[in-house]
Amino acid sequence: MPSTLPAVGLYAEQKRLSQATLARWRSWPTTDQQALLTVAQELRLGENHLRDFLDWLEEIVLRDGGSIAAVLQQPAVRRALKLGRSRNDKLKAVKDALRRLRYPEIARLEHELQTCVKALALGPQVRVAFPPAFEGDEVTLEVRVKSAKDLDAVVSRIRQRLTDGTFQRLFELLDEA
Amino acid sequence: MHHYQPQDILIERGEENAPVVRRVLQRLPQLPVRLVDRGSRPSTESLVDPFGAGKKTLLFTRNRSRFLEHCPAGTPGLVCCNYLVVSLISNCPMDCSYCFLQDYLANNPLLTVYTNVDDLLGELAAVVDRQPWKQFRIGTGELSDSLALDPLLGFSAELVPFFAQRDNVLLELKTKTDCVEGLLELDPQGRTVVSWTITPAEITEAEEHGTASFAERLDAARQVERAGYRLGFHFDPLIEYPDWQAGYGRTIERLFSAIDPRHVAWLSLGSLRLTPALRATMRRRFPHTRLLSGEQVRCADGKWRTFQPRRVKMYRTLSRWLRRAAPSVPVYMCMETAPVWEKVFGQAPGCDKDLAHTILSPSLTDPATIDAP
Repeated sequence: MPSTLPAVGLYAEQKRLSQATLARWRSWPTTDQQALLTVAQELRLGENHLRDFLDWLEEIVLRDGGSIAAVLQQPAVRRALKLGRSRNDKLKAVKDALRRLRYPEIARLEHELQTCVKALALGPQVRVAFPPAFEGDEVTLEVRVKSAKDLDAVVSRIRQRLTDGTFQRLFELLDEA
Repeated sequence: MHHYQPQDILIERGEENAPVVRRVLQRLPQLPVRLVDRGSRPSTESLVDPFGAGKKTLLFTRNRSRFLEHCPAGTPGLVCCNYLVVSLISNCPMDCSYCFLQDYLANNPLLTVYTNVDDLLGELAAVVDRQPWKQFRIGTGELSDSLALDPLLGFSAELVPFFAQRDNVLLELKTKTDCVEGLLELDPQGRTVVSWTITPAEITEAEEHGTASFAERLDAARQVERAGYRLGFHFDPLIEYPDWQAGYGRTIERLFSAIDPRHVAWLSLGSLRLTPALRATMRRRFPHTRLLSGEQVRCADGKWRTFQPRRVKMYRTLSRWLRRAAPSVPVYMCMETAPVWEKVFGQAPGCDKDLAHTILSPSLTDPATIDAP
């Protein structure tokens, strides 16, 4: 049974964490408890964010082996923690980094689709959106124009991308992941 | 596999002389037995693992509501195969880490056996005999394993002959066990399908606690095949793990080197699907399970599944292999949307009846379009 760090209990008290969350955290080896405590204090994590951290960190270690402390030492996480921005920006960056480690295939697909959307170069008037969590099979194109001339230009660009195969690539990416 | 023995038996007052109760008391004369009033149950709430503890007590009671129900896969937005379920048992003596009963029966975990089999058969007869033109598929494996308690309860000896007399209904006994002895002396007349959940051996070992091994399931399937039963195999849940292609490839190869596909009634595929509550329970009861570490997302029905492009790839791969191994056997998916059907099979069934008809009337598939495992 791992020993408990008093600082973890203190943090839980300050943040009014649930008993279940605290028990999960305390079940980790002390080095892992300490590693998350450092991050939690830095990012001032409350119950909901902390639970995401617990889920993702445990799941990464179950899948890849190693330790939670080692995951939190990954360059992507350390880089995000060093960002000199607001607490919210930093929290978002760290969670993004952890999410990429937790869901590498989804992150890879998101990145490739983003690159593909950039290659479409449809301009700021067109927004391309994918189904949430890639469930469903529809890609949404939202077009915002102020005149028929604008619309004609957008439609021409879309048609061109259909002809040169860039759209095809985008649908293939969704289908082949 | 190790066959189930409860630690104690509870009998609802008035059910002491039910045939199934008498059979069990005869088979387990040494167990402590208590009579309980209707609705009275010992509380398992204060225990560390109420669900696990509930499996150790066998409760006999009457089912006072309808037995026959539509399979819960008939959720709006999902393609449904018109499957019907009846439950003579609630909860299961085995303990798969992904089992939905952990969540579904969390407040009612005692392993419960319904004594009024006659009522069930009467209800079934009233429904299926009234519509002789209609084909029904009815399974008993929804709230429990169909055969895990059969050596003790002997329900199959009552069910199989009932279905054998009717040509418009198929019974499916779905199991993860090798408890087929009670079936071997019966004549199913082609109206009972015995089916197994199939996962690669490494997943069976790690996640399906207390079940028969893959080799034991295969051996049991060969026994019932020889006894004249049709077979079914469910690759459900499909588990995404690093070596899934090799694992499932080996499994399908072994399966069809032992089983004659002409005796297989149907094959199904279904993604691992977990409610948020089930995920929390799995974390608590099986902290070392690797099933939660796949790339799963929350879907429109609230359940977590492997993210769609990946699970479509798994479905496509397995359906190609299965159709190559068993070209004339219908392959269908459980609890999936029409878009996923279209991606995997090129089309979705027009309606529930279409799919039910496809499952009941095998069609030939062109083997030239099928890749090797």
